[in-house]
Amino acid sequence: MAKLFPVQEIGSLAKPLWRTKGIRQQLSSQDLKEAEDWAVRLGLDNFHDLAKSILKDTDPKSRARQVLQLSTVYGLRLFEKAGLDNNGVGGEQQRVEMYEHVIKAVEGMEFLGHVHSFDYKYFKKAVALSEIRRRHPIYLQEFLDVRQYSKSPVKVPITGPYTLVDWSFNEHYLRKNENHNLKQRKQEARREFLLDMVEKVIRPEIRNLLDAGASWIQIDEPAVTTHPEPFDMELFVEAWNETVRGFNCKFSNHTCYPSEIGYKILAEYAPKLDKCSQLALEFANRDNPRLGAEEAVREGYRALLQFVENGFDGEFGVGVVHVHDFTGDADPKAGRVVERNIIESPELVRDRLLYASKIVGDPAKIWVNPDCGLRTRTWDVAFAKLANIVKGAQLAREAYD
Amino acid sequence: MCPQAQLTGLHSRSEELVELTRSYDRGRVSWPEVETQLKKETAQLVRLQESLGFEYVSDGALSWQDPLRPLTRSFAGVTSGTRYSRWFDTNTFYQKPVVTAKITPDGFKIQDFLQTELLPKTGKWKVSIPGPYTFSELSENRYYRDKSDLVLDVANAQREVVKKLAAAGVSLVQLSEPCLVYRPYREDPLSRAEIDLALRGIRRVVEGVQARFLVQSFFGDATPVLTSLLELPVEAFGFDLYETDYSKLHIETTKDLVLGILDSRESHIEDAKWVAETALRVTKHVDAPSVALAPNSDLKFLPRPTADKKAAVLAEAVRILKEAS
Repeated sequence: MAKLFPVQEIGSLAKPLWRTKGIRQQLSSQDLKEAEDWAVRLGLDNFHDLAKSILKDTDPKSRARQVLQLSTVYGLRLFEKAGLDNNGVGGEQQRVEMYEHVIKAVEGMEFLGHVHSFDYKYFKKAVALSEIRRRHPIYLQEFLDVRQYSKSPVKVPITGPYTLVDWSFNEHYLRKNENHNLKQRKQEARREFLLDMVEKVIRPEIRNLLDAGASWIQIDEPAVTTHPEPFDMELFVEAWNETVRGFNCKFSNHTCYPSEIGYKILAEYAPKLDKCSQLALEFANRDNPRLGAEEAVREGYRALLQFVENGFDGEFGVGVVHVHDFTGDADPKAGRVVERNIIESPELVRDRLLYASKIVGDPAKIWVNPDCGLRTRTWDVAFAKLANIVKGAQLAREAYD
Repeated sequence: MCPQAQLTGLHSRSEELVELTRSYDRGRVSWPEVETQLKKETAQLVRLQESLGFEYVSDGALSWQDPLRPLTRSFAGVTSGTRYSRWFDTNTFYQKPVVTAKITPDGFKIQDFLQTELLPKTGKWKVSIPGPYTFSELSENRYYRDKSDLVLDVANAQREVVKKLAAAGVSLVQLSEPCLVYRPYREDPLSRAEIDLALRGIRRVVEGVQARFLVQSFFGDATPVLTSLLELPVEAFGFDLYETDYSKLHIETTKDLVLGILDSRESHIEDAKWVAETALRVTKHVDAPSVALAPNSDLKFLPRPTADKKAAVLAEAVRILKEAS
């Protein structure tokens, strides 16, 4: 019988300062002090050789490449040290962020600038100005590095086409469309843009990854629950099915932080997603920091039921720890609050898993992960959370022994 | 048809302001540096609208953190929670107001709403705030048992806010009511009882306030509620042309129409001639004494240069319409 409650990373880790600085400019040995400390903690025996090589490299391109490789190794070792069963791609150290990293590689698109999200948070938006196509591989080099250095299985998270299109402006495809009904015009242009994104950007990328040996692609689609209109949901399904058509590997979906009715809608459409063997979802964010595996306590996990009732019969990646700032109190047995973080206890992770298993009806269908990538947490906090996830998964396993 | 142009809601922040506010958030610059840039950009936006001949001038609400925050700060019984919720179907968020006690007016500060010192001394000022129904719908209610009590208390408190805004010099108050029309998930249109409650709330806000009121809907098809909006004691109503199929409308009204005709969610700059022609087509279905052309919602969804170009398109379309008439 396969190991119950395997633990996976789901997204990105914070980028250390030496990584951010090192891809742009020469580093000093002082800059690598933090890296040296973590090298000891993570057991990187050859740190000094690697550091020396980076410090003496005067070619900006090859130095940046070395820095990215090294930070990837750090991410992988952190996950291994915490005890994860699947390392993702080591915390996505080679990516700027999930949108920009892809769009930079798409011909026909141009960044227009930042728009306000809330408070002092912004996001950078690009526009499709002409027919789009992939300029060069996007995730391939990262995967090749990960394949070389990872001691555990990997999966490759990629940003889904629906999200890429939803977060972009769409001038080219709108200009081509002459429908007088403005709503229909936008919908038709959106569909055309999306299907081009699938065919000309995402599918070539998946082909490259599979040819290089990738066996599991996680398609991140945070935007999908933003538009619960049937037109959009059907469009999402159409794009997904076209994306995976003819490919032979494991595909999973990660969708977090939905709109208020987001998971209700996704649950309805999830069974229509071809080859989608896992949905990795966020729950801890909306749950209580209290122990207990009963329905009354675990209100954050009730949305799982909608997926089961709608007939999704694949695996679930269950978010068991919060990844953003935490304000409030926690039952000391359920977690400790450290500054703006909660470090969930293994017992809380266990109870969340046991409740999720009850809803899903089969513990073998449950994978375990943070709600989303831990990139807003420090590495200390990320490590503490991941280590407790691993311990919590072990406690849940013991409950089934 | 006496065409005009006006902005609606929150305008876009420039790259300079984006960078400064980010640095402020990370503790790298002081608030006065941000404030100086905010004032500079507000003044630029005001000048832009004046130069384009807009009758009502907005300050762009560049300092607003989200569309609800200033109102929340002006009410007792409501706090801004720490939970961020998605603003309709956009990639933007708002701090969800949490209602924990009876709502009353408290803590109004004009500077939370408007940079009055930067608005033209002799011109007419416009401010956009969420209407009582939308504010109530987007809040987390932990106090009222009866939703109508919530909506009406929000409206009562809001009336005091708009009285103060009017006293400070605001001529036009836009009550934004997207919750009246945003029904994305196969829902039926809002029930008669809900519409009536929203209308009661709006009536309560405008009662006895010396200002013009505009009830603006966006993000959804306004067709099912337009007739009801026309019953309100307000001077103008508006809808989102990218969600509402005007060809199905047959309305004759004494109220002014504010037409959400520019797409605030797309960077494509509309052709002014197309805008003018489309506005003319709409007026064949909605016969109103005057039409103001506007973006369909806040231009904050666009980078600043694009938002400013769209504002200029409005003025050019108005010029074309005036020439044609």
